[in-house]
Amino acid sequence: MRDAYLVGAGQSDYGAFPSESYRSLFRTAFDAATDSVPKGLEADDVDEAVIGNLGVGGRQLGLSGPAVTEHVGLDGVPTTRVENACAASGFAVRQAVQAVKSGMADVVLAGGFEIMSDMSSDATKYWLGVSGETEWERLSGTTFSGVYAQMASVHMEQYGTTREHLSRVAVKNHANGAKNPHAQLGFECSLEDAQSAPVVADPLNLYHCCPTSDGAACALIVSEDVVDEYTDDPIRVAGIGAGSDTVGLFQRDTYTGIPASQRAGEQAYEMADVDPDDLDFAEVHDCFAIAELLAYEDLGFCETGEAGRLIESGATEIGGDLPVNTSGGLKSKGHPIGATGAGQVVEAYKQLSGKAGERQVENPTRGLTHNVGGSGGAAVVHVFEKEQEVSA
Amino acid sequence: MSAITGVGAYAPRFRISAEAFEEAWGQFHAAGVTEKAVPAADEDALTMGYEAATRALEAADVDAESVDWLAFASSRPPAAEEDLTARLGAMLALSESATRQLFSGSTRAGTRALWAGLDALEADATTALVVAADAPQGDPDDGIDHAAGAGSAAFVLEREGPAEIVDRAEYAAPYPGTRFRDTGDDETQGLGITQYDRQAFTETIGGAVSGLEIDPEPDAAAIQSPDGKLPYRAAGAAGVGTDEIQAAATVHELGDTGAASVPLSLATALADGDDSVLGVSHGSGAGADAVVVSADGDVPTVTALEGAEPLSYAEYLRQRGVVTTGPPSGGGAYVSVPSWRRSLPQRYRLEAGRCSECDALSFPPEGACDDCGALAEYDPIELAGEGTIEAVTTISQGGAPPEFAEQQAQSGDYAAAIVALETDGGDETVSAPAMGTDADPDAFGVGDRIETTIRRVYTQEGVTRYGFKVRPAEQ
Repeated sequence: MRDAYLVGAGQSDYGAFPSESYRSLFRTAFDAATDSVPKGLEADDVDEAVIGNLGVGGRQLGLSGPAVTEHVGLDGVPTTRVENACAASGFAVRQAVQAVKSGMADVVLAGGFEIMSDMSSDATKYWLGVSGETEWERLSGTTFSGVYAQMASVHMEQYGTTREHLSRVAVKNHANGAKNPHAQLGFECSLEDAQSAPVVADPLNLYHCCPTSDGAACALIVSEDVVDEYTDDPIRVAGIGAGSDTVGLFQRDTYTGIPASQRAGEQAYEMADVDPDDLDFAEVHDCFAIAELLAYEDLGFCETGEAGRLIESGATEIGGDLPVNTSGGLKSKGHPIGATGAGQVVEAYKQLSGKAGERQVENPTRGLTHNVGGSGGAAVVHVFEKEQEVSA
Repeated sequence: MSAITGVGAYAPRFRISAEAFEEAWGQFHAAGVTEKAVPAADEDALTMGYEAATRALEAADVDAESVDWLAFASSRPPAAEEDLTARLGAMLALSESATRQLFSGSTRAGTRALWAGLDALEADATTALVVAADAPQGDPDDGIDHAAGAGSAAFVLEREGPAEIVDRAEYAAPYPGTRFRDTGDDETQGLGITQYDRQAFTETIGGAVSGLEIDPEPDAAAIQSPDGKLPYRAAGAAGVGTDEIQAAATVHELGDTGAASVPLSLATALADGDDSVLGVSHGSGAGADAVVVSADGDVPTVTALEGAEPLSYAEYLRQRGVVTTGPPSGGGAYVSVPSWRRSLPQRYRLEAGRCSECDALSFPPEGACDDCGALAEYDPIELAGEGTIEAVTTISQGGAPPEFAEQQAQSGDYAAAIVALETDGGDETVSAPAMGTDADPDAFGVGDRIETTIRRVYTQEGVTRYGFKVRPAEQ
């Protein structure tokens, strides 16, 4: 199969934008992505588009993919919307890579978008719970904060993980997000702030939860046959992996790990022929602080049960052995559901092309993105690797 | 002859004192009530009826399958139109062919149900279950609301047993306006014509008692108690002393329990071992039923009437939904009523499935086996209603799905857990998500023992859905 390459990626700011529409935000991301391609890329070059989206607040439930691609001048281009909850555009990137590898397309746009802020808080509540297991899990009184809090309760009980460990995730990610101009909550927070915030679902407090966000992100995936038309510094999609699982947490064998993430990570490492030790940075799905800690274990950054110690050691800070969520993560950068997976790829592109500004990791060659749908009903992992020359 | 072979009684855990009312209002309009029971936001007459009925069945050691006659009585059933005995029967796992009857219309409904049960046994029924549950409600500044308590009692009736019904009589005379609720109204009212109301009360009670063939000479007298004074005013009419009334009184601690008033007092007297009990109900309209029970002092009873948590008046208004605004306007994920109904065997009776390929348990029993992945058939297996908490959180304000926003506004934070529910004997478990109830969320921790009960889960499109929740296991 052909190799696939990431030649450009960009995003809108994440936040709450009463003056923007989902289409205008998508256009911002699309323009940023095409502008980021070193040798330029025109709308006409795009063979295919795959767009991640959950619900746009319920106002464009059908054909929301073409609704944004035609807005940026891609009418006529086959467009498919992918819905895998919070992993929607992580899976859109995966679909783009598959289209390229299969030989069906040379240039594929993988993007995502969401608008979550322009509705009443009541209406938002109706949207937030929709990707959990509805009939039993949600109707036992939980949304995702509750389900992840249940995971945290068991992790704390079994491994001695503490509320302080959870708060350290917030402190680190806010420190990173403060250096990201696109971040929604781009401010630093102290450990004290992160420990004294109001409780949402015990043990998770407000600082252990990501915000709701508006935003869009796009990535451009091309084949090895055309990559040199777009860049002289190619970034290869070295590994892809994905998994799915029961939608409800209660139906799984474990509550202290996400099996779909484990499967996705193993596949991606095997395909890329790398170990977690070979990574220079990672963007992981930290919708809640416990989710980042679970990701450390599920993706092999540390042994099972050791995630609390890992965050405490500082190893996942910028400058540490394996910086995690240099973008600020979902916690600080924001979490516009359908855009999040593609947004992680934007950070990978910026880091690997040396454009990450103040939060730049020193000379990275390899980075990972990890995107989870719901509480682990779907997960997708990509490994991106900088090459000096295209092997033709 | 017919007899009571098992007694169950229940009152919610919340209590509010007369002092709390006085603090809020400057006065308290329910004479003789020192405190009263308050239903939690997830309770109503149906769930309280379930609580009493399961206890009565347990006391009588009777299989739900063998009950062939069921009555549910309440002056305030949670639905004004819809026969709730179908749901109650399903919650209790009664046979679908068991006779079901619903009694309402006045606070006399509880004894009317008892009457019908006795009549049924004299016909061809063999095992009757009479369930009375009530939580009256009036305008907040009215005496009816100040007195309004909550509770339930249930009796298993069979042809022979330790507490025989030896006599009964009834009486009715027209007295409009003493206590009424017009169609569509939520609050029960009375005109408050003091002497007229008392005359209606004592005339009907006296009339029913004088219709008895035997002279009861009871140890305890269970007299209808709209407040803590009125039953004593009827002592003369009922031919009993105030001591006998006090011996069976529940109104001082539980408040006015409406159609459950006489059933609760009767249950209390039997639980206390009284041998001869006179019960006299009164319902507006007006009418009264008098019944004489002769017991051998050893009637099986299971009661849960202790109050555990005092409420302030503000908390009382919240729990009862007086000061909350109702559920948020809709959209998004939604479980239709037909979808909900398909899950009733699980919601009401914890019906899991055993995989015919690998023998593992699945809950709910649908789709591929959680264990072996086979798309095999499931053999239904009812779980025992006990288990252990595997994972738990406390949902704070803002963290609740919209279906529970109103409940949370009323009753505050709640526990949401994943529990390992056990089979009979506890050899196997299967996991299910469940909301905590009946205790502070702090009372739910990983590894703690729980038991299940049935509560209101949420109301959507005007339809209240009931299902199992979990509470800390009784020690």
